[in-house]
Amino acid sequence: METLFALLIGLLIGTGVFLLLSRVIVRVVLGLSFITYGGNLAILTVAGLREDAPPLLTLRGPYVDPLPQALILTAIVIGFATTALLLTVALRAYQVAGHDDVEAFGDNLARDPEAEDGLIADPEHQGPDRPDPEEPRTLVYSARSPGGGEP
Amino acid sequence: MTLAVFLPFLFAALCAWLGTRLERRTGYVAALAFVPALLLALPLSGMPGASPALEVTRWVPTLGLALAFRGDGFSLLFAVLIGVIGTLASLYAVAYLSERERFGRFYAYLLLFGGSMLGLVLSDNLVVLFGFWEMTSVTSFLLIGLWHTRSAARDGAVKAFLVSALGGLALLAAVALLGIAGGSTTLSGLDVEALRASPLFTPALLLTLLAAFTKSAQLPFHLWLPTAMEAPTPVSAFLHSATMVKAGVVLVAKFGLLFGSSPLWGGIIVPVGLATLVWGAWIALRQTDLKALLAYSTVSQLGLLMSLYGLADAEGRFTATAHLLNHAAFKAALFFVVGIIDHETGTREVPRLGGLRKAMPLTFAAALLASLSMAGVPPLGGFISKELFYEAMLHRGPVFIAVAVLGSALTFAYSFRLLRVFWGPPRHPPGAEPHEAPPGLLVPAGLLALTALAFGLLPGSAEALTRTAQNALNFATHRGHLKLWHGVTPALLATLLTWGLGAVLIGQAAQVGVLGRRLTPRVNANTVYYALTEGVNVLSSRLIARTQGLALPDQLRIMLGAAALIAGYAVWRAPQVFHPVGTPPLALLPVAALLVAGAVGVLLARSRLTAVVVTGLTGFGSAAAFLALRAPDLALTQLLVEAVTVILFLLVFRSLPRSRDLPRTRWRYALDLLLAASAGLGATLLVLAGVRFLAPPISPYYLANSYRLGGGRNVVNVLLVDFRGFDTLGEITVVGMVALAVLGLVRLGKKGRAPGGGAPTPVPATPGEKEEA
Repeated sequence: METLFALLIGLLIGTGVFLLLSRVIVRVVLGLSFITYGGNLAILTVAGLREDAPPLLTLRGPYVDPLPQALILTAIVIGFATTALLLTVALRAYQVAGHDDVEAFGDNLARDPEAEDGLIADPEHQGPDRPDPEEPRTLVYSARSPGGGEP
Repeated sequence: MTLAVFLPFLFAALCAWLGTRLERRTGYVAALAFVPALLLALPLSGMPGASPALEVTRWVPTLGLALAFRGDGFSLLFAVLIGVIGTLASLYAVAYLSERERFGRFYAYLLLFGGSMLGLVLSDNLVVLFGFWEMTSVTSFLLIGLWHTRSAARDGAVKAFLVSALGGLALLAAVALLGIAGGSTTLSGLDVEALRASPLFTPALLLTLLAAFTKSAQLPFHLWLPTAMEAPTPVSAFLHSATMVKAGVVLVAKFGLLFGSSPLWGGIIVPVGLATLVWGAWIALRQTDLKALLAYSTVSQLGLLMSLYGLADAEGRFTATAHLLNHAAFKAALFFVVGIIDHETGTREVPRLGGLRKAMPLTFAAALLASLSMAGVPPLGGFISKELFYEAMLHRGPVFIAVAVLGSALTFAYSFRLLRVFWGPPRHPPGAEPHEAPPGLLVPAGLLALTALAFGLLPGSAEALTRTAQNALNFATHRGHLKLWHGVTPALLATLLTWGLGAVLIGQAAQVGVLGRRLTPRVNANTVYYALTEGVNVLSSRLIARTQGLALPDQLRIMLGAAALIAGYAVWRAPQVFHPVGTPPLALLPVAALLVAGAVGVLLARSRLTAVVVTGLTGFGSAAAFLALRAPDLALTQLLVEAVTVILFLLVFRSLPRSRDLPRTRWRYALDLLLAASAGLGATLLVLAGVRFLAPPISPYYLANSYRLGGGRNVVNVLLVDFRGFDTLGEITVVGMVALAVLGLVRLGKKGRAPGGGAPTPVPATPGEKEEA
């Protein structure tokens, strides 16, 4: 029984990942749902599937493990919240950007490699002993490489 | 001793608090923090015979961590040195600093540094020693970068920190190795015999050397010291003449007792130290900025000290300790003098200055005494220690004495270059009228200069101080004495040769300058440093641009691919143990069929409505599975959530555009299939490997106590609201936050468009919107 469920979980997760890599926002959200299904079933399966009674003490034991069920109950609700949030974000993204192509959203966080950091300390000519110079320093600083000059 | 170390930290907080009220007078408070350090001179006076005091404050006994402070002669001597220079620097800064300075911060950093330095020299526990060592790196970073609005100061601070942090890591490793090999975490408790026999001996030695060389600015790590002069001059005097840069020397002096027996120790330190001596002096000779000159001079003098301690014999230690005192006196005095010149004329450039002797005679006197001591001219302290240095090098061989003479001749020459600003026709930048400095600046400089003179005229005083360290550094057997006149010896002849060479260097300054420019290598430590940091900067920028700047699916592909590789490696290394398969019960087959149908359906679905419906199919399928797996609560919740989700999707669809086909490129399609397949396979394997892995479960406890403690017969419910109530509270919070976020986003969408966005045409809310088939 566990083997069957392991295969099913693999299928669900695989489907979810495939959808997650899609370009359409709605498919991305659906992919997340599939991963949620797979994850929930996995928690239950890993704890062991048994043909005992549900953990209701009104029934006669032995009972199945109640702990994973409690965990999954939380997970279902959180999964729903995630889906709702993602859908709204997708909606908002469409309203702002005018399209639903995930691949068109990108943000370059990198610093411009060509950007200057500012003056570098010169071992031969230190700055003046004043807290904040009112005027820019007038000394000439050597550039990073001995060849180039930097004002 | 414990008080001496911790009072500066307490006073740092006090000064930070008082800084805005007392302004520059905070310096007087700061000076008080060093009083206990100065009082350490009292136990020091009995040191040549007395045994060291040990003060231990237990901290984390299980880790062998204790604040152990050991007051042996050398440590106390150094602590007093720090106390004296620290007090003088604090007082000097009162008169020196600009009105615009933030005094609270300045003195707080200064005291934090002073306390760290005291802790470093007094620590007996190796781990605590490392802690203080790192604290000196951090606090000196703060001090160098005090004027953080200047990019040059930031650059200098970062450079100093990077280099000394590299050494700090080496020291950490060395301390760990010593602790393992020596069987103790205290320096005095190390088993020296076991250590020498251990295979960890050589690595520990090399790592210790790396730490000492980076901290004490030995070649090729000297690059940080000159740029660290971006700090205000009082700080430079404190950090870079007397204390921080000598931390490496202290390390070599103390650890030399452990490692000195190895030929590797002296074999590395002495050449490196001598090379630093000559190279530092050679560069110092070419400087026109007085502070830069002093910086390179410090590099050079540290090389001298290193080479002497590196000799690891009684004579070397005796001489080095004597020179340590001399150097602290004359170098701090010179920093103070340069500060005075800068303060009075507004510049430190040698070519722009001249004839200051008449305007500031007292400053000139102090400068003269200190410079001549540095140059090694009698009757000053520097002369005596230089003679001893020559003696020690003569015992090593002709090459050593030749290098020593060369280095000292260069030292002689640059010392006179420094004095040149006092001679010649009066010259100073327009607008400045140089006159004698106020007493607040003069007194510290004068006191130290007079100390340099006293060390020379009364060699007995210097010898008495040096001898206090004889037990700690194990040179009690050395019979050497500090004397001004010790007869016509080879050392004296070497001195005469030095003066001759030095005079030539001074006389032929123009030619030396030309030679210096010609000999300047195009690649030096600084260019290497900038090439390295720039390289790392550019590399990381490019890497981030390539990875972080991508669209979401591509980032996901990278992450999933990496995860697949790592997990694949794990599976390959540890083949899983599969549990017995067992026949699947027939009752579950319809459920399985439902799940499969959903998964396959969503992959094949062309329209998004179909996709959502099919996803719902899987949702209902998993609810059915929960039901079959004896989890009625889950099934119920899943059903409800599934219904709401589908409604949610339909609501959103009204506002989303008609679905388009956005195909992936062919290789991406293949890659995605591969990634999805490996994710599925990974999940399957993980589940199979994890079945009943976590035995014994805690669940029987819940089953047994659900009714008794929670009063409920539905164990899952009791678990959620009683046993794991906080968990559920967190979950509710998450849902609440999501609800708020959704509300915000939805209302934002109604009111207007976000700035800069495109202009989406609101899709008419027709319920029966046609989907593309």
